[in-house]
Amino acid sequence: MKFRGKIVDVACLNHFTRVVTTISKLTKTCVLRLNPDNLFFVLSGKVANGGVSMWCELSQANFFDEYQMEGVSPENNEICLELAPENLSRALKTIQNAKSVKVKLTKKHCPCLTVCAELPTLSSISRVVTHDVPVDVIPKRLWHEFKEPSVPDYDVSIYLPPLKTIKNVVDRMKNLSNFLVIEANMNGEMNLKIETDLVSVTTYFKDLGNPPWGDGASQDGGPTQSRDPDSMAEARVDVRKLQQFLVGQQVNPSKSMCNIVHQSVLHLILLHEDVSLQYFIPAVA
Amino acid sequence: MESVLEQSVAANPELFCPAVFGRAVHALSRVGDELWLDPTVKGLALRSVNSAQSAYACFIFSPLFFQQYSFMGCVPKQSSKTVKCKLLMKSLLPLFRCLTSIERNVECCQISVSASSDWVIIQFFCRHGITKTHNLRFQEKEALQAEFASHLCTNVLKAPARLLGDMVMHFPVFQEEITLSATPLRFSLRNYEESGESQVKMMYTEMSLHPEEFEYFHVDVNSEITFCLKELRGFLSFTESHCLPVLVHFDSAGKPVCFSVEDTLFEASVVLATLIESKSTDSIQPVGIQVHATSRYVDAAALRVHACEGHGETGRERITSSQGSTVSPQPDPIPPLPQTQQANKESISVNTSPASSMVCTLLFKALSSEHDDNVCAATPPVLAGYSDEEMMEEFCPKSPSL
Repeated sequence: MKFRGKIVDVACLNHFTRVVTTISKLTKTCVLRLNPDNLFFVLSGKVANGGVSMWCELSQANFFDEYQMEGVSPENNEICLELAPENLSRALKTIQNAKSVKVKLTKKHCPCLTVCAELPTLSSISRVVTHDVPVDVIPKRLWHEFKEPSVPDYDVSIYLPPLKTIKNVVDRMKNLSNFLVIEANMNGEMNLKIETDLVSVTTYFKDLGNPPWGDGASQDGGPTQSRDPDSMAEARVDVRKLQQFLVGQQVNPSKSMCNIVHQSVLHLILLHEDVSLQYFIPAVA
Repeated sequence: MESVLEQSVAANPELFCPAVFGRAVHALSRVGDELWLDPTVKGLALRSVNSAQSAYACFIFSPLFFQQYSFMGCVPKQSSKTVKCKLLMKSLLPLFRCLTSIERNVECCQISVSASSDWVIIQFFCRHGITKTHNLRFQEKEALQAEFASHLCTNVLKAPARLLGDMVMHFPVFQEEITLSATPLRFSLRNYEESGESQVKMMYTEMSLHPEEFEYFHVDVNSEITFCLKELRGFLSFTESHCLPVLVHFDSAGKPVCFSVEDTLFEASVVLATLIESKSTDSIQPVGIQVHATSRYVDAAALRVHACEGHGETGRERITSSQGSTVSPQPDPIPPLPQTQQANKESISVNTSPASSMVCTLLFKALSSEHDDNVCAATPPVLAGYSDEEMMEEFCPKSPSL
């Protein structure tokens, strides 16, 4: 198993760092999958995470100048590593002005992802910073846990309001209740609601727009029961999980949307030119 | 050599630049919980030591730093003890906590120490005619003075102002200890973790650079020393804000390392104990460190000097936690060689010698620095005229003799 990548462009380094930092705010540990074309940061929805799962996909060509890897075997040309994204984020944050950054899989005191940066100096010999981020190699038999999630048959798909706005609303709602209801319809309307014994608060968003792939219920074009555009699909979620998702966002997405499977799951999607992030929050009764 | 003046006195220095003084207090607060305030005729010294006695910091402001420095004192016969005043950091630090507001609002700051009462009075004369007066009670304590024979150190480096700060920033804020490794060809820092299970999953960081980056790089003996980073960081933020190059004196593992800066108006240093590696096992064994001898400068070496012997042979108690410290802060006048009674990992023995006189003479041998920044100009302008011009001259001598 071998991996060696090199980033020389400062904007790419910056972007990559921000993606890793966003991931680090979403979860303490995650799995990094590497194949010849892409990198994936994966969190599988286990009970330990409260059922939350995450899938972040990066196209390696958009970040790395050089990228070479040899997977576990020629048929399975992939590498699967478990790491703490916080370590990787810390390693990257201090080297933003580097002339070049190499990332490689190494074996030191344990398997490590080594980040090696050459920093600019006035003298002829560069400063070198090396960070060894410890990783765990995930054996092939467990790879099935970290597959790309299938897009659920959602009831409603809608573009999100600006994340900052939602974050402000959710921050205040968190003080009042532990659970928040997100409901939306195919008419571009979304509501965030909390309800307690004493008070109920609702924030209304209009004219958000719906993504063009139509109501998801029947994607194969079979007998469609067109969904009543005004009918709301809702999901009741733990407000802290939603807040954690919003707090970490460092990169302004070009598109952000969510899919709701009524009373089942909230699926949030953020798209950038070269990165896509999907986040699943299960609904609670 | 003249004997030092006792200061059961009232000293009334007035600060030209309270923000600089405040930054010194900040740096000292990162070292210890108590601050020794030591006004002498030669200048005002601030010192602190951490609870494990593995870090000692000292800032000395010459009378020139002050707009007015008046030191009135009786001169008793030579007594074996000098009286210093010790303040709690948590009483003093809040006064200087917000440096930007001090720079903006405080026009003048006056500190008075009177031994007859137990008060240190700090007054801030602010804009709009506001005066803030703080009375802090001090304890009379034996002097705190760690002596460090920097001229006996085999390795000396001089780092330009930002270099050490730039290196140290790659390490996480919670990193406690750091290992410095120097050979004639390479200088590097890496994080240090005590051996144990947690070692396996730690993130390791190493930063190395070429000796060319230093203004002066003299490494006779390859050495690797491990010391506390936290206390050093506070010192480095002070030095960076003044753009001063930092001198590093060190030896082999087990002997202390000293980081120091000098300016025409003040000098500052921090002395850190280092871990000693035992040759028999891989684990680190703590040892009490003897630090003797006197000042840093060769011309003061004529004074009483004890060689730095006894390193590595004294108390090899193994302590699992890195902050093991049951050392009482009472220093012995003459540090005993085997420090078996001190169950701490590292310690610097402290002295109550009348050492302040030696330290004070150094103020006037300060190296000239091109990095005088705007606040520490050589001749500070007087903000408010004083009628007693003679008094100023009398108590702000240009020569060390008094």
